[in-house]
Amino acid sequence: MIYEVRVTSKAERDSRGEDLLTEIKRALKTYPIKKIRTVKVYRLEGISKPDLKKFTQKVLYEEIDQNVSYNGSILKDANQTIEVAYKPGVMNPEVGSLLKAAKDLGIKLTAADSSWEYVFFGELTRGEAKNLIAKLRLYNPLIEHIVDQRPKTLLITGKVGKTQTLTIRNISDEELMNLSKDKLFLNLEEMKVIQNYFKKIEREPTDCEIETLAQTWSEHSGHKTFRAKIIVGGKEKEPFITRLKKEAFKHKKNIVSAFVDNAGVMDFYDGWAINGKGETHNSPSAIEPYGGAMTGSGGVFRDIVATGQGAKTVISTDIFCLANWDLNPKKLPKGSLPPRYILSRVVSAVRDYGNRMGIPTNNGSFHFHDDFRAKPTILVGAYGILPKKYAKKGKVQKSDVVVSIGGRVGRDGIHGATFSSGEMTQRTITVNAQAVQIGNAIEEKRTFDAIIEARDQDCIRAMQDSGGGGLSSAIGEMGAETGVSVQLKNERLKYQGLNPWEIWLSESQERIVLAIPKNKINKFKKICGKYNVEISTLGTFDDTKKLKVFYGSEKVCDLEMQFLHEGLPQRVMNAEEVAKSKSKENKSPKIPKNQTEWIKTLQDVLSDGNICSKEPILRMYDHTVQGTSVLQPFTGESYDGPNDAAVIRPILGKPYGMVVAHGLNPILNRIDPYWGSIWAATEAISNYVAVGGIYQDASLVNNYIWPFPDEESLGSLDRSVTAVVDFMKTLKIPVISGKDSLSSTYRSDDGFVLKIPPVLCISVFGKIPDVKKTTSSDFKKTGSTIVQVGKMDMSSMGGTVYFSKNELLGESVPKIDLKILPKVLDVINQGISNGKILSCHDVSEGGIITAIFEMCLGGTMGAKIITDKKVRPDYFLFNETAGCFIVEVKGKEQAHKLFKNVPYKILGETIKKQTLSIENFFSVDVGKLKTAWQKPMKEIFHT
Amino acid sequence: MKPKVCILRADGINCDEETFYAFEKFGGEPEYVHINQLRSKIKHLKNYQILAIPGGFAYGDDVVSGKILATELVSFLKDQIQEFVSRKKLILGICNGFQVLVRTGLLPFNHLGEMDATLAQNESGHFECRFVKIKIQQSCAIFLKPYVEQVIDISVNHGEGKFFSDNKTISKIEKENLVFCRYVDQNGRPTQKYPPNPNGALNAIAGITDPTGRILGLMPHPEKIIELTQHPNWRRGNVSAKGGLIFESMVKFAQQS
Repeated sequence: MIYEVRVTSKAERDSRGEDLLTEIKRALKTYPIKKIRTVKVYRLEGISKPDLKKFTQKVLYEEIDQNVSYNGSILKDANQTIEVAYKPGVMNPEVGSLLKAAKDLGIKLTAADSSWEYVFFGELTRGEAKNLIAKLRLYNPLIEHIVDQRPKTLLITGKVGKTQTLTIRNISDEELMNLSKDKLFLNLEEMKVIQNYFKKIEREPTDCEIETLAQTWSEHSGHKTFRAKIIVGGKEKEPFITRLKKEAFKHKKNIVSAFVDNAGVMDFYDGWAINGKGETHNSPSAIEPYGGAMTGSGGVFRDIVATGQGAKTVISTDIFCLANWDLNPKKLPKGSLPPRYILSRVVSAVRDYGNRMGIPTNNGSFHFHDDFRAKPTILVGAYGILPKKYAKKGKVQKSDVVVSIGGRVGRDGIHGATFSSGEMTQRTITVNAQAVQIGNAIEEKRTFDAIIEARDQDCIRAMQDSGGGGLSSAIGEMGAETGVSVQLKNERLKYQGLNPWEIWLSESQERIVLAIPKNKINKFKKICGKYNVEISTLGTFDDTKKLKVFYGSEKVCDLEMQFLHEGLPQRVMNAEEVAKSKSKENKSPKIPKNQTEWIKTLQDVLSDGNICSKEPILRMYDHTVQGTSVLQPFTGESYDGPNDAAVIRPILGKPYGMVVAHGLNPILNRIDPYWGSIWAATEAISNYVAVGGIYQDASLVNNYIWPFPDEESLGSLDRSVTAVVDFMKTLKIPVISGKDSLSSTYRSDDGFVLKIPPVLCISVFGKIPDVKKTTSSDFKKTGSTIVQVGKMDMSSMGGTVYFSKNELLGESVPKIDLKILPKVLDVINQGISNGKILSCHDVSEGGIITAIFEMCLGGTMGAKIITDKKVRPDYFLFNETAGCFIVEVKGKEQAHKLFKNVPYKILGETIKKQTLSIENFFSVDVGKLKTAWQKPMKEIFHT
Repeated sequence: MKPKVCILRADGINCDEETFYAFEKFGGEPEYVHINQLRSKIKHLKNYQILAIPGGFAYGDDVVSGKILATELVSFLKDQIQEFVSRKKLILGICNGFQVLVRTGLLPFNHLGEMDATLAQNESGHFECRFVKIKIQQSCAIFLKPYVEQVIDISVNHGEGKFFSDNKTISKIEKENLVFCRYVDQNGRPTQKYPPNPNGALNAIAGITDPTGRILGLMPHPEKIIELTQHPNWRRGNVSAKGGLIFESMVKFAQQS
């Protein structure tokens, strides 16, 4: 039988309930509720009555500040109580801990679960309470449910299904495509190649084989577009990936490993290397943002750890593109979630996963545009450190043992890789719910702890993250050159009843597959035991060049590695030639007339989602864990001035460090994918240099999040890739890792199509010999000279926040002078390194004035600025040319000396009084601007 | 002889490396010890002079923070810990480690297996990562005597840090001089205001000791402010990194006793 234990705070109110009440007040005009309380519910199965009391007293309940009840409600005078629990089969991370604690106490406990009750005080019916819960999205029906009936058991049982043989050799093209739809996401040509293969080997495929092929050949795993021949305007071009690699390897001074492993690796100091990777998790996040963003973090952390023979993750970055949080609900496409909900849930996910992992989240950004309303971009970056001798991708050898460690396998996450490769439709949310799961950070953390120790004891030959495509992808890839034999019955399962193909394909989180040399396997098992990490021995690598998978004595898959990995036909894809600018709009806004209008305009710009302070979010992300941060996201007298990049010292006590930055601006790509992409890359490197990074010792990571590659989108993607290649040429530094996600188009059955503004995110990471030679953005002294360094393209205002506030898009995006850029970066770097530049901030969204405002804020001072008479004052203040900097130096003489070889302009000086004054135009209290700048996120996150 | 420091590791502890570094920097000889090694007696607490329980999310902070690890310690290591304490050795719990010490009952009154106080959810309702100020108080921790009245800029990184108990217990804690640091405002005065007091802790209590002065626990992270560059505003001058005094004084005290 199941016992229920309810625990709640003794206090009259609790913060979770209070937060809900605030949300209700915001969302509804009238509400009948006086108070909401929350109650934790535990269900315990297979425990004796005396043990129940003991377990509750010792573990579940603390008398000091909590009340408890057994098998019944706890807040007696409540009007309605609604319980929200995970659906059976969805992993509740807390359960493992409950079972462990029981075991530690010598208590027999067969199964457990935990959930929350929302307890309403006020006149409302159960129906109304349920509606409120739904309206406030206190649960996601994909993974959670409202408990109307007490469960009879918490155990999940099931019978293993038979491996099916599919009939594909003699079916029509139409039938082939029906097989592919919603499940395999392959096109007709690819389906026919598979059909022909099985015709050739004269048998029908098993479900396992078809699924293996579909996931290996998915866009997610196969990167078909990046490997395709591209025809642009009738001319054939080399595949994107070839173009990127060719240029990258021309700049290999620091490259240790690029484009081959789970993350790119570059040289560091003292025999160390550092690695980096960016990865998106857009499709799951669109339908379940909390689980989606969590598993996105977990996945990219595993990419870092599963590089070479193992790395330690030292920093994480989060980049989110969403619709504006106040989007009119009528504009929300069917099957899409409200952006405000997505925003708060992805933030919670990063908080709950990154913080638990002990990985500092030091850098990130938000980009708001309403065309992300159907499909948000959720991009997580991670960076690590590893000994150089363990930094090359491992090669498996014959008789190495295949092991899988970490989490157990469940039905969750099946079809993630193929699902994320398809376009999103309103059916997505109902058909593909299996692709959603919740992460368990502690499972991942202990697995990482074990891997580092195993690496240092030389136990690891090779490894692969078991992410998209699960075992099929990880093992299939590791054994590509050798061959491998796998026994699925040896895999550990979360519950019984999984079919063989499900075990093989499941993307259950927190798992890593390793190749362990036979003579090290016992040592390896011991290390796993020490860290409470479970291990399954799944098989052996051999020299058969075949992928053989068994379930007991039944052979469920037998494919030639060559066909699996090279059978996928190279695509030939047509791309539209892109016009110079895709926007023909050449209107310009009216210049603000007076002080009042100027201040209003500036406040509007500062409170824009792309510019406003994200401090309330950063305060929930642990950014000082590991003790490595030497430039925090916010500095200054009140710790509220934002910085451009993160600087960390991954090895405590050493002088050297690592700098991490990124840049993107999706809306520019919609106007002009080439210059928009140049802008993104320049912004990334400018952020990097603005804090003291040396760009010559940096590596780039490129992430393309694009609409589905129809001819139009493929044309813009082609321009973007060209921009990245040109950027590498300009700065003579390589891209060493990246990822593409080309499915950000939404399609509904009434013909409505929505493409996101294409996202190119360039991340930069690299090394600096001395972390002390860095700077922050806060003004340091009054009476300093403020200088703008770099060549501004003042007349190009396309895509700026200022234009968007005037409901304009603009025709021409800011163009960066690539000849001058390296020189500018060099003088900034020298100025910071010799201490002549006291503070520095790069010019980006919101322009010069925004940069200066943020510098004033951190410095708790003001500034007096003169504009350029030859330029429209609004353009002067709000232009967003990247690659330009605002710097603080001591006096004009100093400025002339430092910047004589590059374009620069003296803008004014810092003053003690906390006002920002623009000569001849307006003067405003910094505090007043700060209020506007901080307001949006303070409201959303209730701080 | 350098005192040996047992840096405890368990699933989800994640501030072990910086805690190790801090003890090493200030003259200790730290060693990572996984709780399973203590349970299986491969390693034994008696070989160490200091036990440090670092921050993190032991077992995910499931149920409430530090609970599962506290249960494990009391179930399996009660004797080892009791012996350790009775031999007048030192214990330090930082953040999650403090939560564990309170939930084992070692703090505030050295009642292993019985809780007298708790660390409840922050009043803000969520995790807080920010720099605050704490002031070292006159307390039973005699090795901190030279530093009384010193104000330290320090990072807090927690979601459940509100020190809480009934009035009687709080008075007893105060009367017995068990509070060794409190959250203070710009003027150095103990404060209940958010965010200088980041969690709403009663009497602005940030850290406490037991009546012997040898078991210490605190929510803020001294190990993350032992070098100037760890201060957010080290580039502005007029700031210092004083977290090291906790480690230095403990190591010295362990050496003498």
